[in-house]
Amino acid sequence: MFRTKKITILVLAAVLAFSLALTGCTLPVAPSTGGPTGTGTTSPTGGNEPEVELKMYVVGNRQEPDTPKVLEKLNPILKEKINATLDLNVFAWGDDYDQKTNTALAAGEPIDIVFTANWAANYNVNSTSGYFTELNAYLDKYPAIKEILGEDFLNGSAINGKNYGVPTNKEKVHNWGFLLKKDLVDKYAMDVSTIKSIEALEPFLKTIKDNEPEITPLCIATMDAPFQLLDWDRISDDDVPGALYSDNRGTTIINHFLAPESIEHYRLMREWYNKGYIHSDAATMQNQLELMKSGKYFAASQSLKPGKDAEVIASTGIEWVQVDVTPPVMSNRETTGALLAIPAGSKNPERAFRFIELLYTDAEVKNLINYGIEGIHYNKQADGRIEIIDPANSPYNPGHGWKFGDQFKDYLMSNEDPQKWEKFLAYNDQGLVLDSLGFVFDKTNVETQVSACKNVVQAYYKQLFTGSVEVDATIAQFESELNAAGIADLISEMQRQYDAWRAAK
Amino acid sequence: MESTEKIKKSRLGNRVSPMTNIGINALFIMASVVCIAPILLIVAISFTDEKELLVNGYHFLPQKFSVKAYDYVITAGDTIWRAYGISIVVTLVGTLLSLLIICLYAYPLSRQSFRYKNFFAFFAYFTMIFGGGLVPWYMVYTQLVPIKNTIWIMIVPYLMNAWYMMIMRTFFRTTVHESIIESAKIDGAGEFRTFFVIVLPLCRAGLATIGLFCTLGYWNDWWLPLVFVTDNKLYNIQYLMYQTLNSIQYLASGSAQFSESSKVIADMPSEGARMAIAVISIGPIIFAYPFFQKYFVKGLTIGAVKG
Repeated sequence: MFRTKKITILVLAAVLAFSLALTGCTLPVAPSTGGPTGTGTTSPTGGNEPEVELKMYVVGNRQEPDTPKVLEKLNPILKEKINATLDLNVFAWGDDYDQKTNTALAAGEPIDIVFTANWAANYNVNSTSGYFTELNAYLDKYPAIKEILGEDFLNGSAINGKNYGVPTNKEKVHNWGFLLKKDLVDKYAMDVSTIKSIEALEPFLKTIKDNEPEITPLCIATMDAPFQLLDWDRISDDDVPGALYSDNRGTTIINHFLAPESIEHYRLMREWYNKGYIHSDAATMQNQLELMKSGKYFAASQSLKPGKDAEVIASTGIEWVQVDVTPPVMSNRETTGALLAIPAGSKNPERAFRFIELLYTDAEVKNLINYGIEGIHYNKQADGRIEIIDPANSPYNPGHGWKFGDQFKDYLMSNEDPQKWEKFLAYNDQGLVLDSLGFVFDKTNVETQVSACKNVVQAYYKQLFTGSVEVDATIAQFESELNAAGIADLISEMQRQYDAWRAAK
Repeated sequence: MESTEKIKKSRLGNRVSPMTNIGINALFIMASVVCIAPILLIVAISFTDEKELLVNGYHFLPQKFSVKAYDYVITAGDTIWRAYGISIVVTLVGTLLSLLIICLYAYPLSRQSFRYKNFFAFFAYFTMIFGGGLVPWYMVYTQLVPIKNTIWIMIVPYLMNAWYMMIMRTFFRTTVHESIIESAKIDGAGEFRTFFVIVLPLCRAGLATIGLFCTLGYWNDWWLPLVFVTDNKLYNIQYLMYQTLNSIQYLASGSAQFSESSKVIADMPSEGARMAIAVISIGPIIFAYPFFQKYFVKGLTIGAVKG
């Protein structure tokens, strides 16, 4: 017995030592974020550098079956330009991409380029954990990206003044509004230009309610609700309380779920619900788009941009009219909505950066990755627009356009507005730049409050957004539960960080 | 005379009253319905016309019969069939290897004559309470034993299971009496011969039970491919399904804050197609049940006596 005990202790000690040694493996990775200062001697033309393979992780629908064919075509081009080849890996939305990427990053695997955002392979968390290489020195050395993106936008994606990722050049602002079912708009000759606020929609809903017994006037599911049209400039996730007004009117962070405007809005929704404008099962619905496809709904709130109606028409098979309601603003939503980063584990960060640069400067490279090979995956028309061959069964149709590089270099599809990019640029110029642009909230100090408040919000927001419950009783309860969840600490921590950030700026 | 009466009486004493009998039956009928109804619904949905689903929702009887969903599955090309093949290979190889290793570990622990059995029992028990954490675990299979992106990564991590091992040990201990082993020894059998020719055939019920657990474990697993497999040719069927459902759920939840998310959802397989994948993924495993059932009850009850 005594001997067994001894052996047990020995083995336990060995196991402990071994696991410590293993976890230790991650440590040497972190400090290698020094930038290109050490590699400054290498020639920018890439002539003398050895050939490398760049491993890239991107989020998407699936690994397209024809990826090897496309890479076969792409790699000679890359070899000539930067003496590198690409290994492109696509993982599915949500858990699949997050799990694979985050684990690989934490283990310090030699990946060279990863897609990251505020909603995938969390940009803020991974940057502050030191898993991404700091890119400022590269951005200075290869200035093309800076010129294309503009300082404002690039700074918006920086964390404490350091860039850990480069955002896609696409729509840089957002606004909110409604999509209305076109056949009904035409039938009742509705003048949609009068809809400049949420309330202004009411007469139209009434028309539908009175005349179309088969149609539900307003479609709501989860966060896809008219509440979004209040356009709070949220500090953290959509379901975490804490926001600023999106017209730069102040610097005080408030609990936007219980702000006077929001409560007023809940009352309006309650009124609409009682009038039968909102479907009675709205609070339990999961997917607004699926509902819209059924053709049984008249209006739906949406995040908009030029040509959004055409996009939703393509995906629902139903004609919609786009009604812009809120003014466009440039917020953190856009600046960290889609970025490319270079993991700290990468052995060739400079080459990886030059590949990223090609995605901004080289239309051939960008379009090859985005649409595949001309003649096999798409046909080019005389006007330069393209048509994807058999889009539903295409062996290469990954829809990468908005995920990296300069989207304005992408070919337009034949069903798209030939002026699409011009309209995008004009739209971008209209946007109001929010004061909070570039502020990143660090949850670490109030982790428990954040998740507690999140739970409370998850339990209440659907009923309030859809008007399914009496407003006064519910918000009283909502408020007391939020207080118990520690919302005061959360808001004051947000305020403290925001004030500190503003002072530093 | 007296004794037969006693037996009769005690039999009567064991019998439940008719009311209780009905109650118990009703309870289990309800439990069965709760289990079977969703499966029937999935089958029904997979045979319902897509447009019908959007407009009228789910029904146990398809309002408009359609096999289009299966069309999608069959024409979706080799992805699904390859995944199917991977699942079958992994399950077969994994179950056999896993059974072998579990038995080889459990058997010595069941023998009184094994000196270090307490230590090795503790060694296994320890892993049930403490784990190394995800990242170190990940590094073991990517750096120490680089089997990431091979078919082995879906087999090796589940080969040994301390809990199954303990059930098996108890099973050995209670089924195979020490005197049987002794007599085998007297007849000149070595340890291996005793184990493979005498002990294992006696323990068929236990093997079947643990075998079924392993089969289910391997067949239903999507976690290992989620963490380790980056080569899409190695995805198994459960993972394929998980990936699709999870993507749709994620995109629909609005967590993905990019303006194209609606377009992406539209490209996903339809509701019917998802259900069709679910139906075919139940396929082979449903046939495993009757095969194991013969031994299952016995194996479970005996295995439940632990210690």
